Amino acid sequence: MRKTRYVIAALAAGVIAVVAFAAVAGAQPEKKQAVSLSGAGSSFVAPLIGQWINGYKDATITYNPVGSGAGITAISGRTVDFGATDAPPTVDQFTNCRGCVMMPWALSASAILYNLPGVKNNLHLTGSVIADMYLGKISKWNDAKIRKLNPGVNLPSTDITPVYRSDGSGTTFNVTDFLSASSKTFSNQIGHNTAVDWPKGVGGRGSSGVSAILSRTPGAIGYADIAYALANKLQFAAVQNKSGKFALPGLRGIKAAAAANAKFDSRNFLSIVNPPKGAKYLQAYPICTYTYVLVPTQSPKGNDLKAFINWAITDGQKLGVKLLFQPLPAYVVAHDKVTLKRLSST
Amino acid sequence: MSVQADPGYSLSSERLRRRKVVNRIMEALATLAALLAVAVLVIVVASVVKKGIGAINVDFFTQTTSTFSFGPSQSGIANAIVGSLVIVFFAILMALPVGILAAIYLNEFASPRMRAPLQLALDVLNGIPAIVVGIFVYVLLVLGSGQSALKASFALAILMLPLVARSTQEVLALVPDALREGSLALGAPRWRTTLSIVLPQAVGGIITGATLATARVAGETAPLLFTSSLVGNEVNWNPSHPLMSMPYFIFAASEQADPGLQEQAWATALVLIAFVLVASTIARYFGLRSRRRRSGKR
Amino acid sequence: MTTAARTAPTGPAALQRRGRFRFGDSLLYGLTLVAGFAAVVLLILITWKVLAGAKLSWQTFHLGFLTETTWNPVTEVFGAGLFIFGTALTSIFALLVAGPIAIAIALFLTELAPPWIRAPVGALVEMLASVPSVVLGLWGILVMGPWVVSTLSPILSTLFGWTPFFDGEQTVGSSQLSAVLILTIMVVPIVSSICRELFTNVPTELKEGALALGATRWEMIRGVVFPYSRAGISAALILGLGRAVGEAIAVTQVIGAGTKISFNLFSTGDTLASKIAASYNSAGTNLERSSLVYLGVLLLIFSLIVNVLAQLIVRRVARRQQGRT
Repeated sequence: MRKTRYVIAALAAGVIAVVAFAAVAGAQPEKKQAVSLSGAGSSFVAPLIGQWINGYKDATITYNPVGSGAGITAISGRTVDFGATDAPPTVDQFTNCRGCVMMPWALSASAILYNLPGVKNNLHLTGSVIADMYLGKISKWNDAKIRKLNPGVNLPSTDITPVYRSDGSGTTFNVTDFLSASSKTFSNQIGHNTAVDWPKGVGGRGSSGVSAILSRTPGAIGYADIAYALANKLQFAAVQNKSGKFALPGLRGIKAAAAANAKFDSRNFLSIVNPPKGAKYLQAYPICTYTYVLVPTQSPKGNDLKAFINWAITDGQKLGVKLLFQPLPAYVVAHDKVTLKRLSST
Repeated sequence: MSVQADPGYSLSSERLRRRKVVNRIMEALATLAALLAVAVLVIVVASVVKKGIGAINVDFFTQTTSTFSFGPSQSGIANAIVGSLVIVFFAILMALPVGILAAIYLNEFASPRMRAPLQLALDVLNGIPAIVVGIFVYVLLVLGSGQSALKASFALAILMLPLVARSTQEVLALVPDALREGSLALGAPRWRTTLSIVLPQAVGGIITGATLATARVAGETAPLLFTSSLVGNEVNWNPSHPLMSMPYFIFAASEQADPGLQEQAWATALVLIAFVLVASTIARYFGLRSRRRRSGKR
Repeated sequence: MTTAARTAPTGPAALQRRGRFRFGDSLLYGLTLVAGFAAVVLLILITWKVLAGAKLSWQTFHLGFLTETTWNPVTEVFGAGLFIFGTALTSIFALLVAGPIAIAIALFLTELAPPWIRAPVGALVEMLASVPSVVLGLWGILVMGPWVVSTLSPILSTLFGWTPFFDGEQTVGSSQLSAVLILTIMVVPIVSSICRELFTNVPTELKEGALALGATRWEMIRGVVFPYSRAGISAALILGLGRAVGEAIAVTQVIGAGTKISFNLFSTGDTLASKIAASYNSAGTNLERSSLVYLGVLLLIFSLIVNVLAQLIVRRVARRQQGRT
């Protein structure tokens, strides 16, 4: 029995050590705010939310960038207080969410990222060429079509490895929207949704996962919010818009695309992908998107959510400029404030 | 099962030499295989140590982290360690009593006819993939009412149950009948016999089994995806909230591009491996010692 | 794997059943009875809930789900074909590589190694089994993947490029080959520990008899140890297969979420378990979620069959051995 006593003593010592450690770890300075808001969803908007977490003083915000699809699931299950998505929920998802409303709260661009060591940044690409790369019809970087768009650039014969999102993604929704509009074959074969049946390549989880694969794989091409390209020092393409110009996903390109003054549909979804030809849209980057917050109209933290979203669409927008989130146009903010009135605490 | 009389067993020196060569080759291959396995283990552990040790410092154990590389800066995994502790603690709390009671039933009360199918059920439960258990707990508990550490503990407890029951049963079977007979002869009721006489003899083995089961589930990630993945980045002891855990953090961070997060993932892996290895070694050592002592006493 | 044999008339169970029953006895009996059936109840509950979750998908696709190779959330056509293929390809290859290695290790530890090596090397191999799968996946993404791309894939391409399994070269760290390698690392310790026990239980007289007749050690192993342990080895391999098929986390980390069926190990792919882990939280429609659970049903059925089969073999082997000794 002596051995058993030793074992029990050892276990007791272990438990005491753990509790002591916890006391130390738990002795964090008490947060002044009592209110906490948790959110999950789009990794597209995650960089901006990171700024909001640091900048918003009236509540403690936590956020999980698990992808638009998972964010919609999370808010439907009321596992979090707000969801974030770049794609409109499906009919099923809206039903499962039981009384949710969405509104745009940020605006940025999906960059087409690539990894070609030794090649310049901002290669010229068009929607139909990108579509062909994902379809597998263009399989090497020195293909004639790419060379034609980039005269004078020394392109290697590296194989093209398309990288896509393996989780339900609003970024996929918007990029496939653009590629479907640019290529009939893409539209017929693959279509446009938060998750599609890509014919070849590698899947990554979250914009972060896609960026990670791109960093490790020469010859890869992928898509993610432009903030990820900057954070991970990845090359990104200049994509041709309908006016014929090769536009960059910077603030100017996003602002020009937003000038399309898209109309809100019944779900509050605004699409500015592939703006039309015109002098106003000369610099418009063709894959810009609004990203949305999805909240229940009635919830225990309704008033806190209202305050947070109100701050986010006004003061919060300034924090996004350095991450290439273009502040929302005035008409969008006005429309959102009307929508916000529908929120209340239960 | 007789050895076949095979012309291969001839004594002619030519054949003999060839047979010896074949034998040498096979011995070499077997040794190579063992070396390969050891080499892989060493490589994996060395990678974890080399890439993770840089992040290990006091801050690592007292600061918090998140899987969100754009959020507030993180330099430690205190919340993940605490979350893992809470989840595993409740898993043990759920699995241990049920496992011990089940083992008592199987060893002390069940007829041999009952015992076989029940043991089969335990062994089959042991082989259910963790991801299926995750789906089950999700459909049963999480859908509609949200995630929490307790639900994660429940999933882990399902995974632990067969291990605890099996090891407890083995050690109960080693308790000599003479003890039971003596106690009953002295007039003690059966429940007293079982709890005060038989069970204490088995305590060492039960602790061993529980420790091994804990070591196994401490690293399980699949059930956590469904039950405790939408987590905050403060140290939180509340089991009714979803809590960050070490395996989930490693999983989420492993796919990120941020090298800082990757280094933290390696360091967490180091902590996790250290815990699992230390726990397994202690459990096996004590198990071996108690078995030796028991056979020595007899 | 040995179950303690108890003969009814003198076992504790029989002791307990004779004589008077007091309240404490009934209470303990009741509690333990409930606990004893816990595993059965859980198995039934798990099967029921998982089947219920898949109902919508079953009603839409029925058995055609098994052969449909598209998984298209846009057109809402879902099928398990791609994942069944990926699971089969990766698990079979993992077993082909892990099986011989594990058996060789077991032989080394039981027949060849001097006694002072057996304990430490044996412990090290067991330690490989206790490395959590997420850690192996982490290592697989960040260390093994780049190594496969830079070093292993050219070698395999040169040696086996003529087969459909190693066509071209691997360009990305994630692939079916990476999944096979990780699964192999996981399966080897399981199979080898079972085989170790099997080989230790081969009666010494049989082994010594063969050696006395002039057999070399390898011939003895081939002629005595293997035939004797045949059933047990198959059980070990079946359990290893079950482990490989059920692994979700490490596989989803390294397999690359591929979307097309390909025999080429260098390309990306997907398995049943890995698809569930990757997509479960983000299913867009109820049909998609239900289809993911349908994948879970397939996994469950497979693991039930595999486990029952392996356990029955193990029990038969144990009974036979007790009959002999």
